[in-house]
Amino acid sequence: MQNLFPRRAMKWISKSIVALVFAQLLCGSMSLAFADQSQPDPAGTATGDKFSVADAAGNPFVVPEPTDKSAPDYTKSKKEFDEFQAQAAREPLALKLADGVGHTRIATNFSWTLLTGYLVLFMQAGFALLTCGLVRKKNAAHLMMLNFAAYVFAFLAYYAVGYAFQFGAVAVNAAPANLGGVPTMNHFLVGSGQWGFLGGKGFFLTGPAYDAGSNCLTLFEVVFMETAGYIIVGAICERITFWAFLLCELFIGAFLYPISGCWVWGGGWLSQLGSSMHLGHGYVDFAGSSVVHSVGGFCAMALALILGPRLGKYGADGKPRAFPASNIVFVVTGTFLLLFGWMGFNPGSTLGATDLRISVVAVNTNLAAVAGSAAAMLLWYRLFGKPDITMACNGMLAGLVAITAPCAFVSPTASVIIGVIAGIVVCLGVLFNERILKIDDPCGAISVHGYCGWLGAVSLGIFADGTYGAGWNGVGSAAYLGKTGQGVTGLLHGDSSQFLVQLGGATLLAIYAFGATYIIFSAVNAWRSMRVTREVELVGLDVPQFGMLAYPEDAVEMLTAGSQAQQQGV
Amino acid sequence: MKRIDAVIRPSQLDEVKQRVTALGVTGLTVSEVRGFGRQKGHTETYRGSEYTVDFLPKIFVSIAVAEDLVEPVVDAIVEGARTGVIGDGKIFVSTLDDVIRIRTGERGPGAI
Repeated sequence: MQNLFPRRAMKWISKSIVALVFAQLLCGSMSLAFADQSQPDPAGTATGDKFSVADAAGNPFVVPEPTDKSAPDYTKSKKEFDEFQAQAAREPLALKLADGVGHTRIATNFSWTLLTGYLVLFMQAGFALLTCGLVRKKNAAHLMMLNFAAYVFAFLAYYAVGYAFQFGAVAVNAAPANLGGVPTMNHFLVGSGQWGFLGGKGFFLTGPAYDAGSNCLTLFEVVFMETAGYIIVGAICERITFWAFLLCELFIGAFLYPISGCWVWGGGWLSQLGSSMHLGHGYVDFAGSSVVHSVGGFCAMALALILGPRLGKYGADGKPRAFPASNIVFVVTGTFLLLFGWMGFNPGSTLGATDLRISVVAVNTNLAAVAGSAAAMLLWYRLFGKPDITMACNGMLAGLVAITAPCAFVSPTASVIIGVIAGIVVCLGVLFNERILKIDDPCGAISVHGYCGWLGAVSLGIFADGTYGAGWNGVGSAAYLGKTGQGVTGLLHGDSSQFLVQLGGATLLAIYAFGATYIIFSAVNAWRSMRVTREVELVGLDVPQFGMLAYPEDAVEMLTAGSQAQQQGV
Repeated sequence: MKRIDAVIRPSQLDEVKQRVTALGVTGLTVSEVRGFGRQKGHTETYRGSEYTVDFLPKIFVSIAVAEDLVEPVVDAIVEGARTGVIGDGKIFVSTLDDVIRIRTGERGPGAI
């Protein structure tokens, strides 16, 4: 057996390398096939010039030449263009200066996007603490390893294909101008134009994805994908085998998240429903209530359903039993780390500090968090006589998840209302899962991320007040609802079509995440059980799966085993 | 020689220790234990599911004493551990056949 293992491992490794090289070559040739004039800029020296300069309202410094002669305002645009050209010829120094200003503007946005991305990255530490604190001590090492391995493997999957699937066609409909644009990521693998379903450029971050602006987006988006990847841990822990968990992470990083991400953020069909079907500004999700959180949450729901409840969770009478949290200090510390990280998650999603809406976004995010927590605390106080600390923490996360989609489009007061509703929904959701659906969710991931994520995306369609997001998804750049500068508008402010597209889109994404996960992992589970054996589950997964305990001092048998080894001089 | 074991409330340990050592007792062993007597457990709710705390945390005090100290030590423990509310604990007194000090090999009352 000892000799067999390395040989098998070597075989596996060499196979993987061959597959990787082959995939690289394939992607390289694909990038060549779709080559075009504009070149990627890996060094970052050509990113940000006079074309990146804009005033506070986002109007460009360089007036573009109008091409469509049949447009009603062609004469006016042509006149503006001619005036700019004449002025530029008189003041060449101004143009030179504008190149510097443009570069600095992009650099400012780079700094913002990368730094907020690092904050989001640190949310992983918060998730690890939160979930570890919520489970029993015998599974603490298991929880830490799941959180750790999720980052590692999902990242590699996203690098290989995930980023290309999500943003391979971002330049077609949604080039993020704040980062200097990603002009060469412009090919849909499935679909085209306003009906794109899957991006198709930039596999293994080669070709057009090997670009400074594009990589800025990659860093920010990969940590978002990781968030979706971490969410499932809370629902499937204490019973899933390590190999099955790795499959789940590869699935999320390579397919599940990138596909829905393409539809909403990569210029895909959901985001274009405003232009193609005249439904509001298309499906809008600012920072990912649905794209990240409800996709992760409903994926977690499907997995928890396939795995079944933990042993002893439901008694013979069908009543749920409590497995109390092992470390409340971890739970609360983890929640605060998540709140801190969310200050990157939401304000960072402007992809630029030159978009001064960031302060409103930050305030809205915090307000929803405290409102959600207050609602959950008080509701639990009323229902059960004591405010459950873990539910207070879930309430804060529920508020954060729900405000993630609407945070840029609503007022502070609307944020408080959304937070309160989320705080109530998360409590009822936990009770509903535990008592009625009987889906065992140790950390409340389904209720926090699934239900409140859906709620957040829908609430955007209700509360968006039209003060921000003019021209979002290419809708209403000149005027919307008859007003110049009118942004994304919800039901309460006169745009019912926005509400409809939000309701439909959020529901569709939830069904997509649940359905795709359920079909694929039911098959995996039928092939080989994804769950650990009864004996392993009873003793705790730490030693059987990872060969160590998180707290070995607590285990008498570990201590005696150690002293025996000492006596034998091992 | 007698061995006095007492199960007391964790909050009363300091009180008991002070009173017992004031009597000249030189050694005392304590451990954290869980159990129930007439007090029984109580029900709590965690994330909406009820659970019973059957075994409550207590402190187990063990003291070996010469015959003449038995009554004063028992009195001191009772005084130190009593709050008057159900759950104050119990004291068990039993005969001790022998005591050995491991370092010197001494036996009997001198080894206490």
